Amino acid sequence: MTLGGFAGTILVVDLTRGVITKEPLDPGLARDFIGGLGLTVKLAYDNLGPGTDALAPENPIVLGAGTLVGTDLPASSRLFSITKLPTSGTIGWSGAGGVTFACMLKNAGYDQIVIKGRADRPVYLEIIDDRVTLRDASPLWGLGVSATCEALWKDYERPTGVVAIGQGGENLVKFSMAYVDRIATLGRGGFGAVMGSKNLKAIVARGSRGVSVADRKGYKALRKSIFERMRAYPHLKEWQEMGLINSFPFVEKETYLHIKKRRVACVSCPIGCKDVVEIRDGDLKGQVVCSSSAINLFTPIIYGMKDYREAIKLIADLDEYGLDMFEFMGLMVFAKALAEEGLIPRDRAEPQIAVESLGSMEAWAGKIARREGLGDVLADGFPGVIEAFGEKAEALAPALVKGMHPYAGPGAALPWHLFGTMELGQVLDPRGPHVGSSGSPTYFARRPLEVFPKHLDRMGVPEDEIAGLLPRGDEGEITGLSVGGLLRHSHRWFAILGSLGVCARAQINRFYSASFCAQAYEAVTGIETPVSALRERADRAWTLLRLANLREGFQREREEVLPRKWFGDRGFQDYVSEEPLTVGESEQMIDDYYREWDWDPKTGVPTQRALDRLGLQGLK
Amino acid sequence: MSKYRILTDDAKCTGCLRCQLACSQAYQKSFNPSAARVRVDFLGVDCAIRFTEECVACGLCADNCLYGALEKSAEGGA
Repeated sequence: MTLGGFAGTILVVDLTRGVITKEPLDPGLARDFIGGLGLTVKLAYDNLGPGTDALAPENPIVLGAGTLVGTDLPASSRLFSITKLPTSGTIGWSGAGGVTFACMLKNAGYDQIVIKGRADRPVYLEIIDDRVTLRDASPLWGLGVSATCEALWKDYERPTGVVAIGQGGENLVKFSMAYVDRIATLGRGGFGAVMGSKNLKAIVARGSRGVSVADRKGYKALRKSIFERMRAYPHLKEWQEMGLINSFPFVEKETYLHIKKRRVACVSCPIGCKDVVEIRDGDLKGQVVCSSSAINLFTPIIYGMKDYREAIKLIADLDEYGLDMFEFMGLMVFAKALAEEGLIPRDRAEPQIAVESLGSMEAWAGKIARREGLGDVLADGFPGVIEAFGEKAEALAPALVKGMHPYAGPGAALPWHLFGTMELGQVLDPRGPHVGSSGSPTYFARRPLEVFPKHLDRMGVPEDEIAGLLPRGDEGEITGLSVGGLLRHSHRWFAILGSLGVCARAQINRFYSASFCAQAYEAVTGIETPVSALRERADRAWTLLRLANLREGFQREREEVLPRKWFGDRGFQDYVSEEPLTVGESEQMIDDYYREWDWDPKTGVPTQRALDRLGLQGLK
Repeated sequence: MSKYRILTDDAKCTGCLRCQLACSQAYQKSFNPSAARVRVDFLGVDCAIRFTEECVACGLCADNCLYGALEKSAEGGA
C-alpha cells in the first residue's frame, strides 16, 4: 500500500553504536496515529523503557514531520518531538514551526527520526536524501545557536534545515531548548539538554524527492477553498504587517515598525510570525536579531527592563545560548529574592542580580549556560535551586507546575487573569506549563459565549457534546462554560493539527476545521478518513501519551496540582463570572477534564472502556 | 514570448517557499522545492528571488505569493 503525503521511512539512529537504519513506515500505524505528533507519541512509547532518566542514553528523542508537511496547505510545516524532559521528568511533546527543516526532512524521504544512545564525541546528524551520516561536531561544540547554524549553512546550501543547540544544551541546562533554523524554539522543559546529553549538536536535513498527494483533484479543490477564505480574511495584511505584536502590544506600534527589518515564515505559512529586527540607535545600534517573534524580544520589559533595545539584546543572548527566556527571567527574579533574604550568600551572588540591568542579566545568562559558580545551581532550574537552598527558598518561589514557571497567570510574564483552557492547560499538559496545546475560544478573553458553539463545531466537537460543555438557561441562553470539559477537546484539536503538521496558532487554525482536516488528510494520503475516524485517531495518540506518563508513575496528586499561589485576591478569576477562582472549583475542572476523556474522574487513569474504544487494550 | 512579466520585491519575501511549492507541483507533479523554476536564496537574514532558465513566466508563483514579493504584470516578458 503506497500512501500519499508520507515519505514512507522511519530513520533510526543509534548514537552509541554509530549505526543508522531505515525502516519502512507501517501504513496501518500511519493511519492509526495520523502521522506527525501522533506517530511520534507511538514511537516514543515503543522506544522508551519505564523509569529511564531524561538525560540517560536510553531516553530516545523521536522527531517527526506531520502528514501535510511538504504540501502547500497553509502553515503545514510543524516539527514535533517526544522525549522525556529533564525539568518535569515527564514525557512531553516539543513543537516548533518547522521553518524549512520539517519540509526538507520529508523531501529527504523520512517522516520520523528515532535517536537513541549517546555518541562518544560531539556529532551532528547529516540527512541529505539517501545519505544519512553522523559527522564530527567538534568544531561546532561551544558555539551558540546562530553560530552553529551559520557554520553548517556554509557547508550545506540553504534551504537545508538545521536543528541545533547552544552552550546551554551542551552543558545540560535543564531549561535549554533546541532551535530550528536558528529562529524557532523547540522544547521548553529541557529538550536542548536531552540533545546535549547525547553529544548531538545538530541535525541537518535537505531533500529532493518531493511530496506527492494521492488525490490531486480533491486536493486542488480543498486548497482553493482554504486560500479563498484566507485571502478574504480582512485582517490578513494586519497580521503580516505586525505579526504577534498585533495581539500583544508590549511596545508601541511605531517602535516595532522602527526596528522591523523583515518577517520570516515557516514553509507554506501565510502569516510569517517570526521576526528579524535591527536596533537603529543607541549603544546597540546596528545589532540585527532573529527571533521566534518580536513579542519575545520585549519580554524583559515585563520584568522591569526599561530600554527595549537592551531587552532585545538580552533575548538575543539567551537565544544564542539556547535558553528558555521565561524560565530564565522567572529564575532570576527568584534568585534576586533569595539573595535579598540572605539565603544566597552575597559572595555567591556576584555580579549583583538585577533583573532590570542588561549587564547583570547577560553575565548570569553566561554563568548559567556555562554552569559557572552559582550558575551551576541555577542551571538546574527551580527544583535545583530549592534543593540547594531549602524550605525557606521554597516559600519564596513563584507558582510552579511540574517544577517549572508557568508563563501565563498571576505573577507570570503574561498576566492573564481569566481561567480558560490555556490557563488550566498549563497544569494538564503532560509536558509542563505550556499553553500551546490548550487553545480554544477562551483564548480571546470575554468573547461572548454565544460564539462558542460555532468554534467548537469547527474544532470537531460533536453537537450533542457541545450542549454538555455550554449549559443553557430557561430561555436557551448560554449561562456557563465547562473549562475542564472544553480543554479535553482543545487537546484533541491540538493532536489533530499536530499530527497533520499544521500550526495551532489562533491566527492559523481559525482557517481550519476538523471536517477540512479529515478531507485534506484523505486527499493527501488516500486513507479513507471520516471526521469521526480522525477524532478517534487523535484521541488514541493523546491517550497513549497519557499512558506513557502513567507508566512512569505520573500521579494527579503530584504532577497535576494547581499552584496555591494562583488563588486569592490577586489570583485567577472564573472565566465567565470573573469572581475569584476557588481551589474547589478548579479541582472540579480537572475532574471534568478526566470525565470528558472517559478517564477515572479522580485519578485520571483511562477507563477500560476508553482503552477498548481506542484499541489500546493491555497498555498501562 | 512569456505570458507575464514577473516582478519581484526581495524585501517582502519571507522565505515561505510557497512559490517553489506551487511551481514544482504544477510542472513536476509533486511538491519539491528543489525542482522549482523559481528559487528563493537565503542570504544571511535576507532573501533573494531568482528564476531558472526553464521558467516560462506562467505566473503561478506570483498567484501563490501572499506577501507581495512576487507579482505578475500583464505585459509579457522576453
